[in-house]
Amino acid sequence: MATKASRSAARVMIAPSVLLLLGWMLIPLALTLYFSVLRYNLLMPGANPFVGVENYTYFLTDPAFTDAIINTLLLVGGVLTITVLGGIALAILLDQPMWGQGIVRILVIAPFFVMPTVSALVWKNMFMNPVNGLFAYLAKAIGMQPFDFFAAAPLASIIGIVSWQWLPFATLILLTAMQSLDSEQLEAAEMDGAGPLARFRHIMLPHMARAITVVILIQTIFLLSIFAEILVTTNGGPGTASTNLTFLVYAESLLRFDVGTGSAGGVVAIILANIVAIFLMRMIGKNLDT
Amino acid sequence: MGRIALHGVTKNFGDTEVIRPLDLEIEDGEFVVFVGPSGCGKSTLLRLIAGLEDVTAGRIEIDGTDATGVPPAKRGLAMVFQSYALYPHMSVRKNIAFPMRMAGIDKVEQNRRIDAAAAALNLTDYLDRRPGQLSGGQRQRVAIGRAIVREPAAFLFDEPLSNLDAALRVGMRMEISELHTRLKTTMVYVTHDQVEAMTMADKIVVLQDGVIEQVGSPLDLYREPRNLFVAGFIGSPKMNLMTGDEAVRRGATTFGIRPEHIIASPSEGLWQGTVGVSEHLGSDTFFHVHMKDHPAPITVRAGGEVSLHHGDTIYLTPDETRIHRFDVQGMRLT
Amino acid sequence: MARAISARRKALNTAIAWTIGAMIFFPILWTFLTSFKTEAQAIADPPIFFLFDWTTENYTTVQERSNYFRHFWNSVVISIGSTIIGLAIAIPAAWSMAFVPSKHTRNILMWMLSTKMLPPVGVLVPIYLLFRDLKLLDTQFGLIIVLTLINLPIIVWMLYTYFKEIPGEVLEAARMDGATLRSEVLYILLPMAVPGIASTMLLNIILAWNEAFWTLNLTAAKAAPLTAFIASYSSPEGLFYAKLSAASTMAIAPILIMGWFSQKQLVRGLTFGAVK
Repeated sequence: MATKASRSAARVMIAPSVLLLLGWMLIPLALTLYFSVLRYNLLMPGANPFVGVENYTYFLTDPAFTDAIINTLLLVGGVLTITVLGGIALAILLDQPMWGQGIVRILVIAPFFVMPTVSALVWKNMFMNPVNGLFAYLAKAIGMQPFDFFAAAPLASIIGIVSWQWLPFATLILLTAMQSLDSEQLEAAEMDGAGPLARFRHIMLPHMARAITVVILIQTIFLLSIFAEILVTTNGGPGTASTNLTFLVYAESLLRFDVGTGSAGGVVAIILANIVAIFLMRMIGKNLDT
Repeated sequence: MGRIALHGVTKNFGDTEVIRPLDLEIEDGEFVVFVGPSGCGKSTLLRLIAGLEDVTAGRIEIDGTDATGVPPAKRGLAMVFQSYALYPHMSVRKNIAFPMRMAGIDKVEQNRRIDAAAAALNLTDYLDRRPGQLSGGQRQRVAIGRAIVREPAAFLFDEPLSNLDAALRVGMRMEISELHTRLKTTMVYVTHDQVEAMTMADKIVVLQDGVIEQVGSPLDLYREPRNLFVAGFIGSPKMNLMTGDEAVRRGATTFGIRPEHIIASPSEGLWQGTVGVSEHLGSDTFFHVHMKDHPAPITVRAGGEVSLHHGDTIYLTPDETRIHRFDVQGMRLT
Repeated sequence: MARAISARRKALNTAIAWTIGAMIFFPILWTFLTSFKTEAQAIADPPIFFLFDWTTENYTTVQERSNYFRHFWNSVVISIGSTIIGLAIAIPAAWSMAFVPSKHTRNILMWMLSTKMLPPVGVLVPIYLLFRDLKLLDTQFGLIIVLTLINLPIIVWMLYTYFKEIPGEVLEAARMDGATLRSEVLYILLPMAVPGIASTMLLNIILAWNEAFWTLNLTAAKAAPLTAFIASYSSPEGLFYAKLSAASTMAIAPILIMGWFSQKQLVRGLTFGAVK
């Protein structure tokens, strides 16, 4: 519905966005692909010969890669489990009538606005530090040995920190979904003899299903790229105990200056992210017409 | 001046033909109503005249000059939308001033016209309010005010009354008619309500599936509907249509008789039937009469005081001089 | 219809919710409190909650030692700069897609979204090298470019969902009233979309302020925003809890306040309109 004049105006007005994003996507992507088949190390200037799939073989057969994949999966899976289950529980709790709901909501949402480097450092030093951390005091107070989080369970500690940051996101979105549930539906179910558990299972959960899927998909996109939290806490260590794929590629490219291998790793990361992206896009695309 | 002429105008949306090639002349000062069921293309036709859509083929002339490629802003037409389309962030005064501001008319003249329009439309007390603070009828008046001040060649109305409640609708109908009598400007009015069409129009254009079924004055359409569609669409309650023996006896495939052209009697008449639902309006009573051999009930208008009840036997006699006969194609037989 | 429930039930809900809320918020509160302690009190055993000697000396020390305000200013320039440029590019695009949709609109929207899903690490190497060659490493300008581009899809999407809620008839009315495209956008669309534009702006400033992949990888001392500046505390300096807390409090306070104001829009923005 429009005229030729407005359609051509529309094309002109959309052009800058499209061209910029096209450039942002294609140029680096092409370069990444190109570098990934070269022997290219910033510490060894000179010719960068074509080496085919050598970088890929090297990257994929590196034991660090297997570790990174496992860590990535554990990190994403762990955070998702905690935040989704916690989010559902909190959303239902916050949807109940109570005094000061708005304030509780503000308290719960707050961690999402804390920048990743700050939350990682605060947790690492002020809470999880085995000597001066608050948890260490707590342990000592009840007569236990303080636990050295980042030495003994580096990945689990990072999962904890990241979950704290993302729990608000899951809660907020699931709460929004809960609030759109018609309370008459719940009353009707109650009239039909459904107990609290049955109401949760047959009314609330199906109603939140879409929002839960969206939370999972969007968090996955972000969680695959977790970087700052690892950088400031463990630097991927000890060894590769807390190295995820993003951090491994960073280490190859900017710590070991191996552009070729780093690029190959980047391509692998893109492929993995795309698998998630396809599902997410379907979800959002379906919603576009309504 | 506001003569509008359409020559061979066609509109396609993708592969669907919304308007088939169509010719129409609208004379200066005429009140023309486009009427038809939803999806018949009447609003699209109005938007083509407005310039909000391009024609796929054909030519639109306004006052003798070709306006086909002219953008809406330059056509000198004003439009009143179904949703009123007021600017919610502007006061009533600013809403009405907007077209004049765009045209670069000076402030003094702007205020003169706003005050005149506001006085005519009973809006003087509301000029500083926002549209959100007005009732539906008041918003409608603001939309009309915004159209008037431009002194356009013609007004276009797109189902302007469909968002108002029934009582207000009757009032606004009169106001728009009065406005037309006073301004004598061409008005093109789109509605799906045949009562609006009958009461307001100088000329009615009945549309169906992007085709003009008939053009004529309200009484022309009432007296001599060109085909079955127009016969069924114009008039309230609807014309009774019968096929079978009764039609063949009158030399037609289908024949029609309006409820007001049938005489009802409790004792004698041509057709015998039983009373079904009856609607008592006070001045009139409509009986829905069930007849043997005829599936749909026949609607009959009787005087207000006739008292017959559900299940009573009733006799009907059509006024044979007012019957309408149609052939196999549904076209009128003369 | 509110369901009638007993006051006891409500009190129980309130108690549980407040407890959990307080626990989740505690790290932020603790950071805030610690920022006003002396270093000795910050690691005191047992921990002190309120009864310490409140001091603001940490704030002044942080500023004096590491030129805190330079980094704060970098954060401001980068997040606001990238948001404003992003809006300027995205508003016309969103207008096009919301009011002159074509059969490609849906595909363009989905494609824009897909660029957001490109993992940054996949393009880290070429961007780093390009920036090095173009002398954009460690510059505000370079970071503004990157943050504009990575947030552009979100800006376009948010504006699109807001513009979609504005009835097209109002813009058509303006066109009938003689408005040019420029007047239509300037006098009608933008004033009507002010709330939507404001929340888009707010959310994008938050996202840009907290962005911690590109800011860490593309800056050093000069253009480092707060994300990168705070990261420097991961060295032993982080063991000065009071100073770490002061720096952290200043880094998160402005955005926390903005975030609280934009909770509702956050949902819409981050789920690309899939949850409203």
